Amino acid sequence: MSRKTVALFLCLLLALPMTGALAEEPAVVVTDMYGREIALAAPAQRVVALTAADCEILCALGCGDALVGRGEYCDYPESILAVPVVQSGAETNIEEILALEPQVVLMGDMAQSRDQVDMLEQNGVKVVVSNAEDIAGTYTAIRMIGQLMGKDAEAEALIADMQATFDDIRAKSENTSKTVYFEVSPLEWGLWAAGKNTFMDELAGICGLTNAFADVEGWGEVSQEQVIARDPDYIVTTTLYYGEGPTPVEEVMSRAGWEGMKAIQSGRVYNADSNAVSRPGPRLKDAVLELYNFINGTDAEEPAA
Amino acid sequence: MLTLRNVTVRYGNFAAADQVSFSLEAGQWLMLAGPNGAGKSTLIEAVTRGVRYEGEILLEGRDIREIRPRQLARTVGVLSQKNAAGYAYTVEEVVRMGRYAYGDGFLSPRDREGREKVEEALEMTGLTALRHAPVTRLSGGETQRTFLAQVFAQDPRLLLLDEPANHLDLPYQRQIFSLIGEWLKAPGRGVISVVHDLALARMYGTHAVLLDRGKCVARGTVDGVLTPENLQRVYHMDVYAWMRETLGKWQS
Amino acid sequence: MKKHREHFSAGAYGLFILAFVGTALLCVCLGSVPISLRDTVACLWNGLWGTEIPAGIAKNIILNVRLPRVLNVALCGAALSLCGAAMQGLLQNPLADGSTLGVSSGASLGAVIALALGVTGASGGVMGMAMGFAFLSLLLILGLAYALDKSLSTNSIILIGVIYSMFVSSILTLIISFSGEKLRTITFWTMGSLSGTNYGHAGLLSLFLALCGGVILGHARELNAFAMGEDNARHIGVNIRRVKLTILIAVSVLIGVCVSIAGNIGFVGLVIPHMARMIAGPNHKRLLPASLFSGAVFLMLCDLAARTVLSPIELNIGVVTSLVGAIAFVTIFYRAGKGRDRGC
Repeated sequence: MSRKTVALFLCLLLALPMTGALAEEPAVVVTDMYGREIALAAPAQRVVALTAADCEILCALGCGDALVGRGEYCDYPESILAVPVVQSGAETNIEEILALEPQVVLMGDMAQSRDQVDMLEQNGVKVVVSNAEDIAGTYTAIRMIGQLMGKDAEAEALIADMQATFDDIRAKSENTSKTVYFEVSPLEWGLWAAGKNTFMDELAGICGLTNAFADVEGWGEVSQEQVIARDPDYIVTTTLYYGEGPTPVEEVMSRAGWEGMKAIQSGRVYNADSNAVSRPGPRLKDAVLELYNFINGTDAEEPAA
Repeated sequence: MLTLRNVTVRYGNFAAADQVSFSLEAGQWLMLAGPNGAGKSTLIEAVTRGVRYEGEILLEGRDIREIRPRQLARTVGVLSQKNAAGYAYTVEEVVRMGRYAYGDGFLSPRDREGREKVEEALEMTGLTALRHAPVTRLSGGETQRTFLAQVFAQDPRLLLLDEPANHLDLPYQRQIFSLIGEWLKAPGRGVISVVHDLALARMYGTHAVLLDRGKCVARGTVDGVLTPENLQRVYHMDVYAWMRETLGKWQS
Repeated sequence: MKKHREHFSAGAYGLFILAFVGTALLCVCLGSVPISLRDTVACLWNGLWGTEIPAGIAKNIILNVRLPRVLNVALCGAALSLCGAAMQGLLQNPLADGSTLGVSSGASLGAVIALALGVTGASGGVMGMAMGFAFLSLLLILGLAYALDKSLSTNSIILIGVIYSMFVSSILTLIISFSGEKLRTITFWTMGSLSGTNYGHAGLLSLFLALCGGVILGHARELNAFAMGEDNARHIGVNIRRVKLTILIAVSVLIGVCVSIAGNIGFVGLVIPHMARMIAGPNHKRLLPASLFSGAVFLMLCDLAARTVLSPIELNIGVVTSLVGAIAFVTIFYRAGKGRDRGC
């Protein structure tokens, strides 16, 4: 073997990884909410989003067309209902997802997520995990998805808009000592309340209210007599109404033993959109506006005591 | 007092009893003999209406299908091979249940006669001292005696025994059989028992029915039925020679 | 030697009623919101005689929340325990329970179908469906058992009951996975809750407990016969088919009502009859009333724990009964096993 050939061979050998590196120069590097770095050659074109909030964020950023698959509970905005559904959560169907040939899968943080991430990545699909537990986390998720889709400017605009709304309402609301009780299930199934570290709790704070069950962590089933004894000024129920029987508000108003409560006597009971108040997405802004209008609207109508 | 006419019991396509006929008169002790699977226990079940059957079973001239359960129980009593009360009833409670057929259904019988029958049954079976003992603590022999006392308290005229002493020690076997022998002495009573042990059958039985694979091979008096020829046909061996051989060991 | 009687004496019944009323009062007095004994008694006293009660939080909590709940809990406990005792006697199986028959599962299925179809407005739809399905399940199980074995033998009923329960739970999972938005509601329902129960529910429970419980108590002798063995029962003259059918219907109706009001509450029907048997003996003339009262007392105490231990959070009552029940069950079996060893 001549020296020339050896040198050429060596050169080729050296060049190989360089050419590879050149070709895969990442245009997009995203740090997901597990702290993992995900690199992509270009902004994602085909995305499967498993959580409802991530779908809403994608659409709010104008990337609805990139959505090729959605988790089973993703139902907003209506335009995405035509997108194929995949099983999400503990039974996430990896096969279904791979069949949609996405570049990126957006998924939430669950007990099973780590294994699912590994399996998807082994099959060449990038996985980005979002895990927003409060409004600040929601901003992070929006920013992350913006980077992923090459929509940084749109993401910042969306965040700024949300922030402005929250600031505005915070400024308009004086910090009263009034309390609110968030109920996430009707009496028949036991009273489940939203406590500390929930979006509802945070929204109440922005509106200047105190959560009546701030001593409960997350969601919890509370005693009926505790609700009566704490006698909140406002009651917000997120029960879904199926169009039959009394509405959730009527049901709350008609409960035996509740008639003496402040919120019942003044009719300050409100049925909130359960998805808007519990999903870490852009609609938190709408939720806070509705809550604010409810508080102030009913306040205005309140007869002089 | 009991007549079976062409009784057939089917489990699916298999006829466990096939066109069996025989009858029993008061004072007789009839032995149902035959190898395993001959249909002996099945016939007992049929008479107590535990299985569906074709043919006719008449009790004192009446079709047993027309007799109500309580009525039937006042005439026919059964002592089965295996009796195991899972719960800790006392001996007396078990024996007293024998009076069920005489109660009015809602209240327990408060009659003097019932109480006397229970006492009598406890005494006959030697269980008076054990009356408050839980049946779950009894030995196998004591348990069988308890259920024998129950059937005595039931005061039937016809007693059906399905190998009542099968898994008991010898003294208990003898005890049970001699108790039943005593019971049979009263007028108007009859006994049908399923036996494996041909020696016992010859010793206590007055009459016998020999069964083989559901079919009746012979019926009549014990001595007329358990002949060497019949037994050879059913057991495919010389039973008499075997009996003599085994018993011969005891002669010395 | 003292006279051996089958029934409880009047004095024993007095003691039961005393324990029952005492526990009920305790459970009404205690709760996650402290209310003074004086206010509680005043509320109850005035409520009892229909006299005017000063409106206030005490009145609302005692008369509208606690009392109806305690009544419902007591009635459910009594009914479930009575059903368990009856099943254990009828099937000669100390592990039998209303759920062994598949009746509880059937009732749940009915209620969940009602929810999935959207008849959630009034509880009437759910209750009707639960009772209907409890009964249909019974007919189905008996029908299958009869097809398998004409004598309706114990083993085939239990076997089919268990298979049916598994089948129903898979159907439930199926319905829940198809129910989409309503999923959350259905999940809540299957967990069961006594917190929304009112006097209407208590009235309904009392009615059915009086009817079906009466039938069960009236069959104490027959249950004794069954408990000594089904063949033995037939031999002593029990009309086994009729008695079995009567008791199974009474049990399934009662369980259907309980499930539709309180959801599935485990272990009460299993453990309480065991405890009652240890105290009162196996004779159903004592066992049934003992189970009735101790079931009520047990469930009231479990509910008290569920309401107060983690206040203001409320535990699911099924969690408490399973926790207490499982430990009690193991203890009973351990002691029973040791007793048997000593005895032999």
